[in-house]
Amino acid sequence: MLLFILRRLILAIPVLFGIIFITFALQRLIPGDPCRAVLGERATDEVCDDFIERMGLNEPLTTQFTIYLGNILRGDFGTSIRYGRTIVDLMAERLPVTIELGLAAMVFAVLVGIPLGIISAYFRNSAIDVGTMIGANIGVSMPVFWLGLMLAYVFSVILKDTVLALPPSGRLPPGFEAVPFFVQWGLAPDVNSASPLLIFLSRLNVLNAILTMNGSLFITAIRYLILPAFAVGTIPLAIIARMTRSSVLETLGQDYVRTARSKGLREVFVVINHAVRNALLPVVTIIGLNFSLLISGAVLTETVFGLTGVGRTLVDGITTRDYTLVQGFTIIIASAFVLINLFVDILYGYLDPRIRLS
Amino acid sequence: MSTTTTGKPIKLDSAGARQLARPSSLWMDSMRYLFRNRLAVIGMAIILLLIIIALFAPTIATHDPLQPMIGLPGHTGRLQAKAPCIHLLGCPAEEVEHYLGLDLNARDVFSRIVYGSRVSLIVGFLAVMFSIVVGTMLGMISGYFGRWVDNLVMRFMDVLLAFPSLLLAIVIVTVLGPGLQNALLAISIVSIPVYARLARAQVLAVKEYEYITANRALGAGPIRILFFHIFPNSLTPLIVQGTLGIGGAVLEAAALSFIGLGAQPPDPEWGAMLSEARSYVFTAPHMVFFPGFAIMITVLGFNLLGDGMRDALDPRLNRI
Repeated sequence: MLLFILRRLILAIPVLFGIIFITFALQRLIPGDPCRAVLGERATDEVCDDFIERMGLNEPLTTQFTIYLGNILRGDFGTSIRYGRTIVDLMAERLPVTIELGLAAMVFAVLVGIPLGIISAYFRNSAIDVGTMIGANIGVSMPVFWLGLMLAYVFSVILKDTVLALPPSGRLPPGFEAVPFFVQWGLAPDVNSASPLLIFLSRLNVLNAILTMNGSLFITAIRYLILPAFAVGTIPLAIIARMTRSSVLETLGQDYVRTARSKGLREVFVVINHAVRNALLPVVTIIGLNFSLLISGAVLTETVFGLTGVGRTLVDGITTRDYTLVQGFTIIIASAFVLINLFVDILYGYLDPRIRLS
Repeated sequence: MSTTTTGKPIKLDSAGARQLARPSSLWMDSMRYLFRNRLAVIGMAIILLLIIIALFAPTIATHDPLQPMIGLPGHTGRLQAKAPCIHLLGCPAEEVEHYLGLDLNARDVFSRIVYGSRVSLIVGFLAVMFSIVVGTMLGMISGYFGRWVDNLVMRFMDVLLAFPSLLLAIVIVTVLGPGLQNALLAISIVSIPVYARLARAQVLAVKEYEYITANRALGAGPIRILFFHIFPNSLTPLIVQGTLGIGGAVLEAAALSFIGLGAQPPDPEWGAMLSEARSYVFTAPHMVFFPGFAIMITVLGFNLLGDGMRDALDPRLNRI
């Protein structure tokens, strides 16, 4: 097992290197003058000379790349031109928004998708099955941002003044003060003196609510999460439900399921312990692969729901030509993607010994 | 006359006789199976309808998609973001009909959606064509020649696959500059690795067959073997993946336009229409609902057909 993990880790290194290389190369490919692309057309020659000197853009490309690589390995992704803050600081502040959204979407997709898939497979060709599969087909065909907009309309306009009304944008109502857990615990006096890690953790509203035992914050944070999570989670949900269905259908036809039934086991046990348990392997992979969907979902949904997460910051960075930010965020997101796929691979190897040995 | 083991002659009715007489090929069988799949037929119908709408857009559209209605006869009062007006549904007869209402610039949403089908279909087809051509070439070369060529190409593909696809597309458009053409290019580049991997796997499987060895013995060169013998025999999965890919490409193009990197105003593109209308979802939902619905139906059509084709062309599924 250890050897297997090690081999996968080593295989991931060239990919990570490739990501850094491509992002670096792409930035150098931007047509025209890099200085005026960033600072605007009206930048004077003096300002530009200074800018090029400061950014090391007059060095040979190989030197630039070595310096860049060295900085990244030390965790220095540069400073955002627009915000005047380091990329790491910005990440610590905005990544929690995206992680919370992504996790909530995934939990929703898994908790609804897997049972739906199992029920569809068990009652094959019934009304539930046909309905679920039609729903799944429509689900994978919907643009996430459109679904988000429509949900916002339904839950905050049509269902306004009912119990089901949900807030259409933001993470917390304006003026809602959430005390970070590190202040309550006395780890740091205020936000300005806390380390990026503490800030990162405290910005996960749900986690912060649990750590500070703040019930109203917990409920409010969840209420604000529901719509975006629903929007981002719908496509993964549809894919997971389809995958679970076909996988369970396959195991339900196996001899060991018949054996379990003939032993007189209760049907629930047969389905859950024999069929579903063996059917979940491919589902695990699919869940891992859905991370890509979560990222694109987050990029689009954050814009719709007014959440200042990684996706929205990235899109804003593109429109304001903040290339350091785009580059840094791209590398961090893509690396996280590689690591998650690696984790799924390892998990898969753990669950299925045949993979590990091949 | 054929007989069974009991010696009784089998009676063949005319349909059965025809069935026996007709030579069956994989393609014919697959097509017959495809047409029996109800969902795939629905998908085909949707695509056909879209193609008709796109071809006859000038006839179907009720207004000029780029022309604001302000000052035109029959248009009075506030026209921006005006709700749909259909006479059959009780809209006063003196007002001009706008099936899906007007947008922020008082342009007819229905006509814009009709013309938008052209943009989406063209982007979907072209993007997939481009990535199939480039991806298949790379995959075939890499699978046929193996060794360092294979390693170089496929490791590069691995890196491309390591990016979440929309993220990579965004970065590419950032470099190339916003616009529909660049968005199309970005979407194609992002899906090249998928086709490269598929083509490579196919080549690896096909190149060991005897008929390839026989060709080589006859003196055929690698290019001839690759394009005339290996390529036609590895088409099936590419076609299936391509059909599903069109749906994906339409979605991605809409997404890029939505964040302002694809089609630019005033082009009637569904994603761009959503982007313009998104702040008005609470006051004029018709401007948001219909373009998104059009995207969904289009993608659904290609997904249904693609799924159906996968089932029909998969030789592993035993069926009669």
